[in-house]
Amino acid sequence: MDWGLYSCGYRSDGSGVLRMNNSKGRKIDRREFARKAALLSAAMVPAGMAFEGPAAAAINEQLPEGAEKLSAEGRVEAAARFQQIMSQYGSRFDGEEQKRVRDGCYSLQGTLERLRAFHLENGDAPALYLKPLLEREKKPQSAPAAGAAPAAAKKP
Amino acid sequence: MLKESILYESVGELAKRIETKQLSPVELTEAYLERSQKLGPQLNAYARLMPVEALDQARAAEKDIHRGHYRGPLHGIPYAAKDLLAVKGVQTTWGAKPFAEQVFDYNATVIEHLKNVGAVLLGKAAMIELAGGLGYMYASASLQGETRNPWDTSCWTCGSSSGSGAIVAAGLAGFAIGTETWGSIVCPSAFCGVSGFRPTYGRVSRHGAMALCYSLDKIGPLARSAEDCTRIFAAIAGHDPLDRSTLAVDKAAFTNSPAGDLKRRGLRVGWLTNAWKEYEPGVGKAIQAAHKILPRHFASVRDAELPEGPWEDAAGVVLQAEVASSFGELIRSGRVKELHDPLGRVGGYVNLTVTGGDYTTAQRVREILQKKMDTLFDSYDVLATAALPAAATPLITNLITGLAFPDPLGAIGNLCGLPALSVPCGFTEKNLPVGLQFIGRAGDDAAVLEAGQTFQRATQWHRKHPKLA
Repeated sequence: MDWGLYSCGYRSDGSGVLRMNNSKGRKIDRREFARKAALLSAAMVPAGMAFEGPAAAAINEQLPEGAEKLSAEGRVEAAARFQQIMSQYGSRFDGEEQKRVRDGCYSLQGTLERLRAFHLENGDAPALYLKPLLEREKKPQSAPAAGAAPAAAKKP
Repeated sequence: MLKESILYESVGELAKRIETKQLSPVELTEAYLERSQKLGPQLNAYARLMPVEALDQARAAEKDIHRGHYRGPLHGIPYAAKDLLAVKGVQTTWGAKPFAEQVFDYNATVIEHLKNVGAVLLGKAAMIELAGGLGYMYASASLQGETRNPWDTSCWTCGSSSGSGAIVAAGLAGFAIGTETWGSIVCPSAFCGVSGFRPTYGRVSRHGAMALCYSLDKIGPLARSAEDCTRIFAAIAGHDPLDRSTLAVDKAAFTNSPAGDLKRRGLRVGWLTNAWKEYEPGVGKAIQAAHKILPRHFASVRDAELPEGPWEDAAGVVLQAEVASSFGELIRSGRVKELHDPLGRVGGYVNLTVTGGDYTTAQRVREILQKKMDTLFDSYDVLATAALPAAATPLITNLITGLAFPDPLGAIGNLCGLPALSVPCGFTEKNLPVGLQFIGRAGDDAAVLEAGQTFQRATQWHRKHPKLA
């Protein structure tokens, strides 16, 4: 539903069971998770750009509800995703907003893990097709829309 | 002064009166305007009323009809358009503060089509900000505030075509235009007890409509009956050179004629047994009753199952990735903070992190799903189930915790661009409407509309209206 439970990664978790476990069942403890997350995010974020806010760091260490269902690598990826956002835009968020961003990152991770677990053959092409702009399409003879050609809206 | 019962008549009934000159389009427009001015603010149904323009259009329609130039069933019928459709010279806010002063200098193609058949634009319908594209957790996520459900004003209409649902349910216009990316026509139609139609992707031009998700957005009518939806769809469908996502001329156009697209064939219905995990008790009862009467009116009704797979996940990733592009500038600039909803203010940042690889994987899953669904429609002409497993929720509901349920059907229907129609099929014990949904094969909009008409010939739920002070 596009009231937004899905559009930003926040959604109920009743829609599916994780089918992939990259960790092959290996448990990861909180300390190891935090270390991996820190390593990965440090690798991704250029020096000097990391958002060092103590609140963001603390939030990143608290796993949101449902995060335990993710694979170990998935948790690391979600933490890095959060860190990446905080690095670029962290100063825009208060504590509550940081939590929402973090929850969204972990929720998106669940979505991605289920999606990536779906078996696809190399030849399974995406539902994306280029429609070459043919010469006859460039100048429509009579547009049903009688209005003028689209123009930019007056910017607010 | 027109009686309230006339304002609740279908487009077909109003058209008959107008064509035979028993009803003046000006009188009808004035009556809807007066009712909209009185009840619209109570419901937060409109972003803006356009009385001057509407009366000008109504006078022109009346003049034409008196000259003998009757243009068809929408001539002189007042309607409202969701506030994400460009109307030349009129503010088009997309329901969001950052765009509150936005004015386009052209009409959306849908507005042009309706103008060409003589429909009268009464105003712009309220909507959820940016059609909910960046996420929202409260009904109040709109520049206009929360839209109140005419059946119970302490409840929500659902979104994002919130105003469109309220306007039709409250008898403030003859019909309304809404849009759906994922649930935004079906849900308000069900919550408001009106008939709402989501056409096949590509049959209705989106030129001049706010783009949320390029490969999921659709435009369709909310009206008093499936028959009205058919009439309106016939007026707005068609290839548009200004929207290259529209289907070819012969695939996009739709003719409202029994001899044309609607062939009065005996429809085979597949009753979906796995679309919803559980129903709210009141909803389940109404849906069971609707299920029982189908065999009397359709060629066959057999149980059917949706294929299993990560369809919601694929739809979610497609939506998130495309929204990251359509509203990327708003997010990166930080102006997204001007949105009303606390979730909308931050959700876009997560969307920005979806990779091209994951987006492409979602599109590959989508292609597989399309084939699976096409095969399913070899056995059925339409699939049927509840529009939603729940009825309208209180305005204060946190949607993340209070209206969250798996929605594989919404994901499948929208990922595959399938046509769907929600028609009223009963009420809960709290007198809140329940919707029955028909879904068809891509391009077979006629089957879906015919199924709705068949159901409504056998029932009277679509003729029930809320009591408003």
